[in-house]
Amino acid sequence: MTAARLLRHETILAVLTIIALAVLASMSDKFFTPENLLNQGRLMAEVGLVALAMTFVIVTGGIDLSVGSILGLTAILLGVFWKNLGLPLPAAILLAVICGTFAGWINGFIITRFNVPPLIATLATLALYRGLAEGISEARSVRGYPEWFFFFGQGEILGVPFQLWLLGIAVVISGVILGLTPFGRATYAIGANETAARFSGIRVNSTKLWIYTAAGFCSALAAVIFVSRVTTTRSDMGTGLELDVITGVVLGGTSIFGGRGTIIGTVLGLVLIQALKNGLALSGVKGDGTIVVIGLVLIGAILVGALFDRNRGG
Amino acid sequence: MKKLTLAAIVGFGLMSGSALAASAWTGGDDQPTNPLSCDATPAAAAAKPYDGGVPTNAPDRNGKKITVVDVPKLIGIGYFNATSKGIADAAAELGNVDAKTDGPTKANIDEQITFIDNYITSGVDGILFAANDPVAIAPVLKKALEKGINVVGYDANSTPDARQWFVNQAEFNGIAKSLVDSMAAEVGGEGGVAIVTSTFTTPNQARWIAEMAAYAEKCHPKLKWLETVEAQEDNNLSFNQATTLINKYGDDLKGIFGMTSVATPASAEAVTQANKCGSIAVVGLATPNAMKPYVEKGCVKSVVLWNPVDLGYAAMMVLRSVADGTLQPGATSVKAGKLGDLQVINGSEILLGAPYVFNKDNIGQFDF
Repeated sequence: MTAARLLRHETILAVLTIIALAVLASMSDKFFTPENLLNQGRLMAEVGLVALAMTFVIVTGGIDLSVGSILGLTAILLGVFWKNLGLPLPAAILLAVICGTFAGWINGFIITRFNVPPLIATLATLALYRGLAEGISEARSVRGYPEWFFFFGQGEILGVPFQLWLLGIAVVISGVILGLTPFGRATYAIGANETAARFSGIRVNSTKLWIYTAAGFCSALAAVIFVSRVTTTRSDMGTGLELDVITGVVLGGTSIFGGRGTIIGTVLGLVLIQALKNGLALSGVKGDGTIVVIGLVLIGAILVGALFDRNRGG
Repeated sequence: MKKLTLAAIVGFGLMSGSALAASAWTGGDDQPTNPLSCDATPAAAAAKPYDGGVPTNAPDRNGKKITVVDVPKLIGIGYFNATSKGIADAAAELGNVDAKTDGPTKANIDEQITFIDNYITSGVDGILFAANDPVAIAPVLKKALEKGINVVGYDANSTPDARQWFVNQAEFNGIAKSLVDSMAAEVGGEGGVAIVTSTFTTPNQARWIAEMAAYAEKCHPKLKWLETVEAQEDNNLSFNQATTLINKYGDDLKGIFGMTSVATPASAEAVTQANKCGSIAVVGLATPNAMKPYVEKGCVKSVVLWNPVDLGYAAMMVLRSVADGTLQPGATSVKAGKLGDLQVINGSEILLGAPYVFNKDNIGQFDF
């Protein structure tokens, strides 16, 4: 793992993001305003939170497809605990987040204990958790939350949306863990060569278990913010979230084969996608056109990544 | 186990039925019904104060060119292509509206909210929407109102205070009247009829059945209801249930109502395969494309739904009237171009009119 090479991908991505911001700002005078940028930060917080945990997952060479379903399940449980079981709302939130975290732990348990490939394990729990969410809710929405609860999704502290503070703190914490701690180094080692990591005395299974549990926790946290932002609970919440998350992480330079990736890269990837979505919409490009552009950018980033790989190999 | 559950459900249904004076027909709900008159007289609108929202400091847009964005539940399906066409038609006819349709490719609440949010930032004058969730969409629509944007819904409503007006495509009693009238016309006013529905507790279907029972009792007392069967919204199950009805009641069965867009074509298929075309009528809610084969063969004579092109057209006309200031809270009707005067109901809703009956002559003009 050479720091210079990692830096190069992120430098390129940073330059690309700045160019994109500049171009989009010139295309619409409503893009580069503090109000719009903060609002975009609000909209990307849920995907962002999950993407931080997903960076760890993908760095170990794994994948977690069930994050969107965990979000949906947590949202439904929050509503059911509060409305149907009559728990006080703070207790319902706490309990729902614990359940979401536990759902992540189950992913980790299946993957490490039974040696199931993460793709298969989380593909199964993707269906399982979504099915549970639909079954528990009986496809009914829970509404009528008290006003104070909307602070998490709609409130501001010092003019900045609440969830952006949360995302900022999470970025710092996850950046420090991945970049500066033994746990982070273990994560890279597992992704680079799991067998070697095992023989080096790294506790591979427990590290993985922690990481998948954290993915569950972040999805659960995102669920609380999401419910608060849209003021209602539905069982189809978070459908397709996993794809947005993985797109952001991979665009950020994290190798899908593991062993490579940084939190800064993920943040840049998320910012670039959100800026493209918003900026193109503001300059009059329709939704289908925006998806095409994002697809092209992703292919471009993968090609750049492949180029680096070839350089390394040659 | 499944049978036991079913028995429990039926048992429970019977118990609640005796306790709550449910609809005369199984599958209806226990809400009060309001059958329309047997001729075409429109129902008197119950006076209800305006309960829609009001935009903050909306600029004077009277007669000025406005930009409007239409954000349906999703794009790329026939139904919303049709509403979008209606909106474009109305905009072309008005001449002072720049309208476009944009939205998510999946019926996803989060994406729809993001689309609307971006269009608020880009500074449109008006927003048309069909909500994926009435409550989830409310905060972003309220934000639009706060920015002085005119907001009108169609097809699927939001909470009333999050938009100004909602164009309602059909009321429950209107759909019920169309279905029962069509059936009565086809079976000659008397005979046994059965219903294939989704489940007894599905809200819309239960409401329709309750209204149908009330209307049939009032206007077509010789229609004899035989049975309501549940078929989820499953194509295969609907077909099997309809076939069972045909075998069970034999010549007593003169007609089948299909209550969902799945049940109606499946019932038509069951009647076709039983060689009962002409002796058992099928009337139901469905989209024209699914019903074209049966209508063209003459096995099904009437399919009830609303005309989505007219729905989009009406929504655009209402938005223009709101922007011009000609439609104010408290109005009882609104002019909607070629559709004439549309009635205001429920405080802040505008009724599109009687449901549309698709038949052999007009079904070819629709593609959704």
